[in-house]
Amino acid sequence: MDAITEILNMTWDFIVLFSNENVPLIVGSVKAVVIAVGIMSVVPALVWLERRLMGRFQVRLGPNRVGPFGFGQPIADTIKLLFKESIIQTSADKFLFHLAPAVVVITAIVGFAVIPFGEPFQVFGQKIELWGANVNSGILFVFAISGMGIYGMVLAGLSSNNKYSLMGGLRSSAQMISYELTLGLSALSVIVLTGSLNLVDMVHAQESIPFIIIQPLAFLLFFIAGIAETNRAPFDLPEAEQELVAGFHTEYTGMKFAMFFMGEYINMVTMSALVTLLFLGGWNAYGLPLWPIVAFACKVAFLLCVFIWLRSTFPRIRYDRLMTFGWKVLLPLCLLNLMITGTVKVIWFP
Amino acid sequence: MLEIATVFDFTRDAVILVVGMTAVLASLGVILCSSPIYSALYLIGHMICLALLFLLYNAEFLAVVQIIVYAGAVMILFLFIIALLGGKKEIQENSFHRSMAFTFVFILLGELCLSATVGPTRQVHGEISAEMFGTAKAIGLELFSKHIIAFELASGLLLVAAVGVICLAKFSFAPLRRRVR
Repeated sequence: MDAITEILNMTWDFIVLFSNENVPLIVGSVKAVVIAVGIMSVVPALVWLERRLMGRFQVRLGPNRVGPFGFGQPIADTIKLLFKESIIQTSADKFLFHLAPAVVVITAIVGFAVIPFGEPFQVFGQKIELWGANVNSGILFVFAISGMGIYGMVLAGLSSNNKYSLMGGLRSSAQMISYELTLGLSALSVIVLTGSLNLVDMVHAQESIPFIIIQPLAFLLFFIAGIAETNRAPFDLPEAEQELVAGFHTEYTGMKFAMFFMGEYINMVTMSALVTLLFLGGWNAYGLPLWPIVAFACKVAFLLCVFIWLRSTFPRIRYDRLMTFGWKVLLPLCLLNLMITGTVKVIWFP
Repeated sequence: MLEIATVFDFTRDAVILVVGMTAVLASLGVILCSSPIYSALYLIGHMICLALLFLLYNAEFLAVVQIIVYAGAVMILFLFIIALLGGKKEIQENSFHRSMAFTFVFILLGELCLSATVGPTRQVHGEISAEMFGTAKAIGLELFSKHIIAFELASGLLLVAAVGVICLAKFSFAPLRRRVR
């Protein structure tokens, strides 16, 4: 009996000590759960928004039967997807087939971890920071993780044992590698301006004026490359319905199919947040009477609507033109912009 | 009462050990897998483990660059090529050459162990001064004194890899047959 109480006491001591000494760890874990759950629950709302907006753009109503304004539609869709039979064809590589959607979703969520969305504030004498992790090289971290996300699509293409899937996987890897360069180089001009890889520092550098005014070309290039990186129309070549059936996720059914979309929508949010942080001044409201976090959310929501707007406006471009555009137009422009920025910075603002 | 610092250090050491062991396992997977796709995936896993090790030793930038350059850019090209060529499983057969190679490798390793136990080894002395830090000379001194064994092993490994690539690319042991009309 004594032994048990002693062990219990020791365990309790350890728990108290652990929680006293590791408040940052506990706060971090809670934040991680909140961010992961939050970002995943944004996805159905985004699907609803996209369908409603697309409806408006194409002069039709969009989903409006389930609940008020069709709000119940995403829930109905989710339930349908969860209960659908998951079909795996016999010639597919089972392990990789299961792995691919998981890679897509996990990398998308992890990439969002370093996105900051407001100034730190005090609760119970404890400083709560509005970001999952303040990594010194935050923007590089996002690029690294989004680079890992390509593997999900390539693996889906390889493991499905289907020529359309393979073509989609190959296209996606080629496209993402090409446009990653533009993305990185246009972000580099902002890095040159701020002299830091840290996303919070970048927002602080834009307190007086957002970088979109100083760097309009870099903003445009970053946004275009961002659309290509998230595989959205008009750059949705990897999953071009009309030529490749559905590209790399042709063979997927049920929730696994939905996981690819989850990854895509989370990447869309991450990309909008990145554009906001790099070019639109993050949570700086510029005189408007808004809470910082609300200002940030408004900017991100606006950019998401622009994503949807572009999808319903532009036709898909041909594959060879996509590559030509990436390598012969965007990349030289990026380098030129970077060169000018660097020169101006060195000569006038040393 | 447990000291929290020791608990932390112990956990950290344990994590480093586990990540390192995973890295070794992944690298074994690269050479032992028969399917090229899985080999490439093991290599990616190995690189992620290396990045984690960098992260655990507080080299954040190095870790991120490791992932961007090697795991992100180089390996995606590997997978690209595998996808284009069609990743076929190799058929493993136990031939005379295989057994010869295995015997040779094990005898060599045994000899290495024996020589390490027999020959007297001397400690490396001397510190690298502050002004030499980062120079080529400092790197040379470090490489050829403290890390000589790892360095030599790596050079041996590179040689074996080069010979292996030539073997795979050039020679096929069965003579090519002309198509008979």
